[in-house]
Amino acid sequence: MNELARFLPTFLEGFNLSLPQNLVPVVAMFLCGSIVAAAMGLSAAVLVWAERKLAGHFQCRLGPVYVGGKFGWLQSIADGIKLFLKEDIIPTDADRPLFRLAPYLAVIGVLAAFVAFPISEHLLVADLNIGIFFILAVLTVEVFGVILAGWASNNKWSLLGAMRAAAQMVSSEIPMGLAILLPVMTAESLSLKTIVADQSGGILKWYVFQPPFFMAVAFLIFFVAGLASLKRSPFDLPEAESELTAGFHTEYSGMRFSFFFMAEYAGMLLVSGLAALLYLGGWHGILPGQSGVEWFLLKTSFLLFVMIWIRWTLPRLRIDQVVYVGWKVMTPFALVCVLGQAAAVHFRGG
Amino acid sequence: MSPVKTYFSDVFMGLWTAMVGMSITLKYLFSKPVTEMYPDVKPKTPTRYRGLHVFEEEKCIGCYVCAKACPVDCIEIGVVRKGKEIKITKFDIDYQKCMFCDLCCEPCPAHCIHMGPEFERASFTRSGTILQFATPKELSEDEKKIEKVARK
Ligand code: SF4
Ligand code: SF4
Repeated sequence: MNELARFLPTFLEGFNLSLPQNLVPVVAMFLCGSIVAAAMGLSAAVLVWAERKLAGHFQCRLGPVYVGGKFGWLQSIADGIKLFLKEDIIPTDADRPLFRLAPYLAVIGVLAAFVAFPISEHLLVADLNIGIFFILAVLTVEVFGVILAGWASNNKWSLLGAMRAAAQMVSSEIPMGLAILLPVMTAESLSLKTIVADQSGGILKWYVFQPPFFMAVAFLIFFVAGLASLKRSPFDLPEAESELTAGFHTEYSGMRFSFFFMAEYAGMLLVSGLAALLYLGGWHGILPGQSGVEWFLLKTSFLLFVMIWIRWTLPRLRIDQVVYVGWKVMTPFALVCVLGQAAAVHFRGG
Repeated sequence: MSPVKTYFSDVFMGLWTAMVGMSITLKYLFSKPVTEMYPDVKPKTPTRYRGLHVFEEEKCIGCYVCAKACPVDCIEIGVVRKGKEIKITKFDIDYQKCMFCDLCCEPCPAHCIHMGPEFERASFTRSGTILQFATPKELSEDEKKIEKVARK
């Protein structure tokens, strides 16, 4: 199997479905979208369960135990059913069209990013030659959803949450972009497949372990900035429960709320996966010659574990501290890394 | 310290303290959870736990000392005394009032009332919280006449 986007149309034609010729790409696109959405929803559900279970154990509790047998592994399904059955409330003074649009924008941003996201050498929807750029660009749509939600709710908590989200996203997206520049410079490509291919041949070829170690710093910056752009703790100011009730999604209930929830967890998956692809060798194993989906999943789940670990360790920062970290710490460090790596690439190329 | 030094030491300390915190939470991750799976697994109460009373009827001499000692007067005792024979016809403790203070058990001359390990006697009615410890007995007419019921 190769790229899903190329494979599906030929696959459909093989069936002789007597579809009109020009409908085949549309059906194929629809199928691609459904597969990506299903995979995203499923992994978000697993992630929610893992987060609750780990949160429990980090606090010497057990986490969910009852639903679905011993480990409560059906907890997310039960949560999903509960959210589905909740009353859908739209406040009277809310801006109705914008209020309805916001959660879809948040989900669609992440969903579109998954299209250019390779899982292994042969398992991907579409290998875009500007893959990483595309992912970064569509991911920012998510924050529009958040800002719209805050604005349309007509609630001061929501608005404050949305404003924080905007400030935070501006200060985190720039170091993130700069950090991504390093692997792109080294591989001389924007395609994720090429970037990963450049890291083949054992653990020492992974970008984090490449001397002069600018990439290791960039990896750290990418990860922290990723946490900030995902609104994950300790950067969860837009939804700070103790100050803003629930921040931008205060007024949302039921399915609309769960869309925001799903966007956050799918975003976690995306950032961890990107970090694994860009710096940790993607689907290449520790020894030269090893490669496969399992390596990619292993690395991604480790990074996800670290995200959950950080969330249950560090308390929330203040907004001025977040902006300080973004502009005065991560951005200059990322700039130095970019310059250093550029020099390294230049002299390597001779 | 010069501002430059402060800046770099702040950055370093930020990362370092985060790592120290994370090592602490990692230890907790692998430590034993303290959760008690209560309704599924009954907890073991400590040996001197003050739960529902345990009453040994055959030892009781119906002296009312426990009822007198009780600060909230929640023990009601009925006795029939015929010469040396003592029949306890009623020994009710009202757990709406009882505060599990153990004051009734200490002065008992016959050592027949104790604080036990049980604690699950929630009830949906008020009368359900009054526990009857004496075994029910058939009383003859003249026994009924000399029966003394009191909550002192
Ligand atoms: S434990 Fe205290 S309150 Fe309860 S019956 Fe005994 S003396 Fe009264
Ligand atoms: S003090 Fe002891 S012997 Fe006397 S009535 Fe109470 S339980 Fe019976």
